[in-house]
Amino acid sequence: MTLSTPASTTDPRPAALAAPIIEIQGLVKRYKDFTAVKGIDLDVRTGEIFGILGPNGAGKTTTLEMIEGLRTPDEGTIRVAGLDAVADNDKVRSIIGVQLQSTALFPYLSARELVELFAAFYEVSNPAERTGELLKLVNLEEKAGSRIEELSGGQQQRLSIALALVNSPKITFLDEPTTGLDPQARRNLWQTILDVRAEGTTVVLTTHYMEEAEVLCDRIAVMDSGRVIACDTPEGLIRALPQDAMVSATIASGDPATLSEADITAIPGVTQTTITRAAVPPTISAQTSDVQSTLVGLLQLAEQRNLTLGELTSTRASLEDVFLSLTGRSYEHQDDSPSENAETDGKKKRRGRRG
Amino acid sequence: MRSFIAMVVANLKMTIRNKQALFWNLAFPAIFILMFGAVFSNTGLNQFTVGIAGDESHFRTAVTDAMTDSEIFDVNQGTTDQEMDALKNDDRDAVLVFPAEGSDQPVEMYTSESGGPNGQIAVGTIRSVVMEVAGQESGITIDQQQITTIGATYIDWFIPGILGMSLMNSGIIGIATAFVSFREKGILRRIKVTPFALWKFILARIVAALVLSLVTSGILIGLGWVVWDLTIRGNPLLIVGSLIAVSMSMLAIGYAVAAVSRNTETAASYANLITFPMMFLSGVFFPLGSMPNWLQPLINIMPLKYGVNALREPMLNGKGIDAIWQDLLILAVIFVVCMAFAIRYFKWDATTR
Repeated sequence: MTLSTPASTTDPRPAALAAPIIEIQGLVKRYKDFTAVKGIDLDVRTGEIFGILGPNGAGKTTTLEMIEGLRTPDEGTIRVAGLDAVADNDKVRSIIGVQLQSTALFPYLSARELVELFAAFYEVSNPAERTGELLKLVNLEEKAGSRIEELSGGQQQRLSIALALVNSPKITFLDEPTTGLDPQARRNLWQTILDVRAEGTTVVLTTHYMEEAEVLCDRIAVMDSGRVIACDTPEGLIRALPQDAMVSATIASGDPATLSEADITAIPGVTQTTITRAAVPPTISAQTSDVQSTLVGLLQLAEQRNLTLGELTSTRASLEDVFLSLTGRSYEHQDDSPSENAETDGKKKRRGRRG
Repeated sequence: MRSFIAMVVANLKMTIRNKQALFWNLAFPAIFILMFGAVFSNTGLNQFTVGIAGDESHFRTAVTDAMTDSEIFDVNQGTTDQEMDALKNDDRDAVLVFPAEGSDQPVEMYTSESGGPNGQIAVGTIRSVVMEVAGQESGITIDQQQITTIGATYIDWFIPGILGMSLMNSGIIGIATAFVSFREKGILRRIKVTPFALWKFILARIVAALVLSLVTSGILIGLGWVVWDLTIRGNPLLIVGSLIAVSMSMLAIGYAVAAVSRNTETAASYANLITFPMMFLSGVFFPLGSMPNWLQPLINIMPLKYGVNALREPMLNGKGIDAIWQDLLILAVIFVVCMAFAIRYFKWDATTR
């Protein structure tokens, strides 16, 4: 993963132990044919960007919608800024902002009209001024007069985020905010989300993109099949892995037959290895817990065997490896259509966009 | 209150900017008014079949002669019973019953309730003949109460029906498809996570639809007046009241359709399934009396039948609330029942959970 983290340069992440603003205990949600959320405990801290990561059908959206008050939990408690999410839902609604998975925008209105309408819903005191601020924040000032139908997918997503901020909420919930966007639009939206947090809003988002969670989130809850299987900072999750990097090299010249897997495994730090001799050029890859020793050892080995290595790279372990290590399954790269591709691992049979 | 007004205004904008809705609610009925008006205003008056009955008198003879001389009347004479039977069988457009010579009883005029345009126009034409003859005779009075319609034209009969059709289309098709598409797009759930209450959201849509209904009706009436010289006889306030009652009952049917429709396509087909027969079985285009007897039970369950009557009686015949209170009551019941149904089966979500 070579991407730099914008967060690390633009704004300092909040202190590790800020007060929790959302406290979830023993949360369960059952549907007729299956249990979507199987008893989860979570704390979200004030001022952080908290990510819920998992494949489709993991229970991310159901969890989010229970916090927002769109669904009623079957068991467990949710406290939002000290309020009970179920009993005090009316009060909760006025202090949170929500972006749903579908963009859910009224048709035939302009971007400005729509934001002003939502400002009226919250009885915001200076709707025109607030609308201007928000359109600027999400970089839609030039599109203020355009109808919803004329906006691109990314612009509609940014407008949805503006609507989720109209009431200057304490917490804003973003459900898969970048799904369906092209890479450039996705990066623009990441910056918008970082700007939102910089204004002091706690952000809770779901995503099925590993990269997104790694770049944006202060802490991540990894969900799978209705459970939270890990919850930590991205670095913490990766540190907990037995290996922390992948080293790979191509063999530019020399006979790969002189090299066995056992030779590689003997190098300090290597936990696992594969040599693909049939590839052109042949490649070596190794998981390691000690990048430096492994690189040195590999170069020495090549020297001894008269091999020339090309394209020597080391890649830091990613959340993808975390998911693999926690579930024993690889994290399929999902495409952007959330409803149709949830069953790729063959273990689960689910319908719909339960997230 | 500010949020409510903002939602009403947003609804008005959304409806006006929806070109498809604008066509069905405004252009479509306007085309009918122009087209049917042109067809029927050029054919002029049909021949009217008139029955003359009652006691012999100089006045009766004078009226009979005047009508027989005129090309447009087919005059029949018989006993009162015979002529009234003929009227009931739709063999007469109107029957005149004359009092005895020297009596101070008025001339009574009967028309079939189901007479439609022909009957209505007959009334006006017959009246003008009777009044002309009466002007030459002395001591003759005509029962003004019996001769209710004064020079009605086809367009006077037609436009109240077209207003009903327009309110039906905007109410049932407009609400059902718009509301279901809001649900499908997740807009209803989006509203649910704001402090704006659902009842305000629904009421705002109703208020906006009523405002647009009145404006649309005003435009269509204006068109009829400018192009075809439409005459409205009843109390304008009562007519506005009828327009509101018709519109609200149709909106409620639209909400009920929305409640049972899973997606926009099913909403559109249910709405069309309901509005299509209503368009032809509610007296919008054809007088209900001209429909075969076996259809009458079906006609009587068409909500728009009562709506058209509530509009036509005051607009065409200048009738007061006493003539249409039953229609208004039925429309109110339809509103209450359909709204209760819509609330009972209301869904926030496109899925059934």
